[in-house]
Amino acid sequence: MAEPSAAGRTFDEEALPHLDALYRVALRLTADPTLAEDLVQDTMLKAYRAWRQYRPGTNAKGWLLTILRNTFINDYRRRKHEPIAMDVEAIEPHALYRSIQETDPEGTFFAQIVDEKVLEAVDSLPSDFREVLALSDIEGMSYAEIAGTLQIPVGTVKSRLFRARRQLQSQLYAHAVEMGYIRAREKQP
Amino acid sequence: MSRSDCEQALAHLHDYLKREITPELAGEIQQHLERCRPCFRHARFEANFLAMLETCAGKEKCPNEVRARIMAMLRAEAGGD
Repeated sequence: MAEPSAAGRTFDEEALPHLDALYRVALRLTADPTLAEDLVQDTMLKAYRAWRQYRPGTNAKGWLLTILRNTFINDYRRRKHEPIAMDVEAIEPHALYRSIQETDPEGTFFAQIVDEKVLEAVDSLPSDFREVLALSDIEGMSYAEIAGTLQIPVGTVKSRLFRARRQLQSQLYAHAVEMGYIRAREKQP
Repeated sequence: MSRSDCEQALAHLHDYLKREITPELAGEIQQHLERCRPCFRHARFEANFLAMLETCAGKEKCPNEVRARIMAMLRAEAGGD
C-alpha cells in the first residue's frame, strides 16, 4: 500500500510500530477507550495523508504524537471533563518517601498496586501533567523529544514532570493506605 | 558529606534516574549515592516508583480489531489515489 517517502521507508514501516504507544497516549488524553480508538484512527488517517511532509530520519513517534495531540485538542478535548487540579505546591517534595521510609523504604508497595490503579491515578492528573508523565515515564521518551512533540521548552517539561510525579505519588499513597498496603503516617505534631 | 550534597542529589533524583542530566552532574550524584546511605535508599525507592510506571506500558496494547480497522482504512485510502 503506502507509497514510500523520500527515504524509501513506507508509511507502514514507520508508523505502524507506534500504534500501541499512540493508543496508550490516546487513552491518557481521552480517558475513554472508545474515544481513544477513534482518536488513533483519525491520527493515522491524517498522518497517512500528510506522509509526504514527514522528514525521513526524524522521530516518527514524535511526529505521530504531535498529530494525535493536535487532533485531540481540536476535535476531542471539549468532550471530556477536566480533572480538578490538586494544589501541588501544598504537597511537600519527597513527601511520600518521608512518610513511609520507616515502614517500606524500598517502596515494595508500588509492586502491590495493580497497573489499572496506577493508570487510573495517572488519568486523574490535570491534562498538562498527565501528558508529560505518560510520554516520559510510561512511553520512555526523552525530555527533549517531549519538548519537541508538545512544542514547549525542556524546562517546562521538567517542571511539569516534577509536579506530576509529586501529585501522582500523593494519590498512590492515599490509595495504598486505603488498600492497607501501607499504614498511614502518624500526624506530626 | 555535606547537607548540600544531599540536597543536590534529591533535587535531581528523578532526572538522574532518567539519565536526563549532564554526565558531570550524574557523576557527582552517583558518587554521593555510593557514600550516603539515606540518599541511596531514597534513590532506590524512587527507582521503584519509576519502574512501576514503565511496566504500565505493557498493559495496554492497541486492540487487534482497531489495528485491523486502521489497516483497512489505509488500504482504502491508498486505493483511492
